[in-house]
Amino acid sequence: MKSLKFLKRIFFWEILSGLWLTLKTGANPANVVTRQYPEEPRPSMPGFRGLHALVRESSTGREKCIACGLCAAICPSQCITIYTGENSEGAKIAERYEIDVLRCVYCAFCVEACPVGAVVLTEHYEYSDYTREAFYMDKERLLDNWDKYMAGDKGKNYFLNFWRPLNRDFGEYEGQPVFKGPKKEQA
Amino acid sequence: MFEAILPPGSADIIIDIIWILGKIVLILAPVMLCVAYATYGERKVIGHMQVRMGPMRVGPHGLLQPIADGIKLFFKEDIIPAEADKPVFYIAPVIALLAAMSSLAVLPFFNGFVLADINIALLYILALSSIGSYGIVLAGWASNSKYSFLGGLRSSAQVISYEVAMGLSLVGVMIQAESLNLTDIVVSQGSMPWEWNIFPQIIGAFVFFMAALAETNRTPFDLPEAETELVAGYMTEYSGFRYSLFFIAEYLAMFMMAILGATCFMGGWSGPGDSIHITLPLLGDFYFVSLGWLMLKVFFFIFIYYWIRATLPRFRYDQLMDFGWKLMIPLALLNIVIIATAKVFTKYHLIETLIKAIS
Repeated sequence: MKSLKFLKRIFFWEILSGLWLTLKTGANPANVVTRQYPEEPRPSMPGFRGLHALVRESSTGREKCIACGLCAAICPSQCITIYTGENSEGAKIAERYEIDVLRCVYCAFCVEACPVGAVVLTEHYEYSDYTREAFYMDKERLLDNWDKYMAGDKGKNYFLNFWRPLNRDFGEYEGQPVFKGPKKEQA
Repeated sequence: MFEAILPPGSADIIIDIIWILGKIVLILAPVMLCVAYATYGERKVIGHMQVRMGPMRVGPHGLLQPIADGIKLFFKEDIIPAEADKPVFYIAPVIALLAAMSSLAVLPFFNGFVLADINIALLYILALSSIGSYGIVLAGWASNSKYSFLGGLRSSAQVISYEVAMGLSLVGVMIQAESLNLTDIVVSQGSMPWEWNIFPQIIGAFVFFMAALAETNRTPFDLPEAETELVAGYMTEYSGFRYSLFFIAEYLAMFMMAILGATCFMGGWSGPGDSIHITLPLLGDFYFVSLGWLMLKVFFFIFIYYWIRATLPRFRYDQLMDFGWKLMIPLALLNIVIIATAKVFTKYHLIETLIKAIS
């Protein structure tokens, strides 16, 4: 009705109802969306891509890495550096495995590419520091990261929940050449 | 006891001077504290109205935030634009602050406590707010920057337009109280809420409130200092302590308008229980309940300032001028007509005279 519209205009009805809305919102102190960050950290979603770590195999205590170099090959920012060598049993290992964390784009292609599931991106994201050197991770620090951030069940369930290493899904065909250890002496 | 060394007859004057200086400190110190915490309160209130919290980190619940802000502004580098007009640049914030602070001298805080109980108090306040607009336009001019200049011009035009409306709305109060003295205005309103000026003069109170918003450049009339349009308008080129002078002047003016509104329209320091006092030995009667009533009304006004800032978008400049000249001034004049008619009828008992004349 035109008269109602006129009255509403004179007495600023819409403005008053807007004021009422802000008053209701402001009067309720629990009605806030602010998270007080350091005291209330936000839990990471499963599969969150944070700091890198090399998986430590629980039986041998060493890394699972077989130094195939697939992670370094696929990394879009070329932040992984691998120097390979031979261990005492003649298997191929990575003597030096270094990740330049400041170059990384956290795409997790390396995790997907690794055939044995040796490199992971943990859920940890609070690792600020003051120098660049602190962010150039070598093998020992990466293994330490695993112990610190993925110990226990988190590490065990990491691959089952989210990233599935390729060697769980492919088998061998009869006669496929697979390295199972150095050639034993034919008795 | 000092009569031996003082010139004869001057002991009274010296006591008066000491008394006045003491009153100045007693008025200024709490008001400056209130101004500092008004900035904190604004951020908290507006924050909660916007579904977030205001400052929370600096002290417990952010209570030390104004102190941190003050220290920061104090230590900032004082940058002066190269082509700026230096004497004017220096003096502009001082003029604005002077206008705001000097108005505190005539405001009655409780019965018997006014720094200067002059009979033209309202006129004095209106005159000082006109001087305040000098500070703004000089700041805009002296900054020698187009944005500041535009901001200063717009702000001064806005201020002088709404000063007319404010003066006219206060004329209704003056008619009702038959005096310009603020203590008389408070006393002429009774102590009960229904006797205060806001009810017969609701139109005048509305006009005064809108004019007070525009005088202090608060939202929705804050185009001169809108951050998105003019950076900070006339305050753009000021940094550090000079900026804090403008800032304090704005919040002091806001407080002063709130106290004036509470005094003229809401009964000032009157309220139930306003005659309860403690008699302090040297200082006289301290009516603390009425001081509490005044504080309550002032904080209510200030809360409405914050509430409106959180809710409304700002006026476009031509809408603002339309509002001031075409709506506020006619409403204020209407208010004067109504109040004057009512006053003539009640003061001269015209109704009774008419009835007697007819019968």
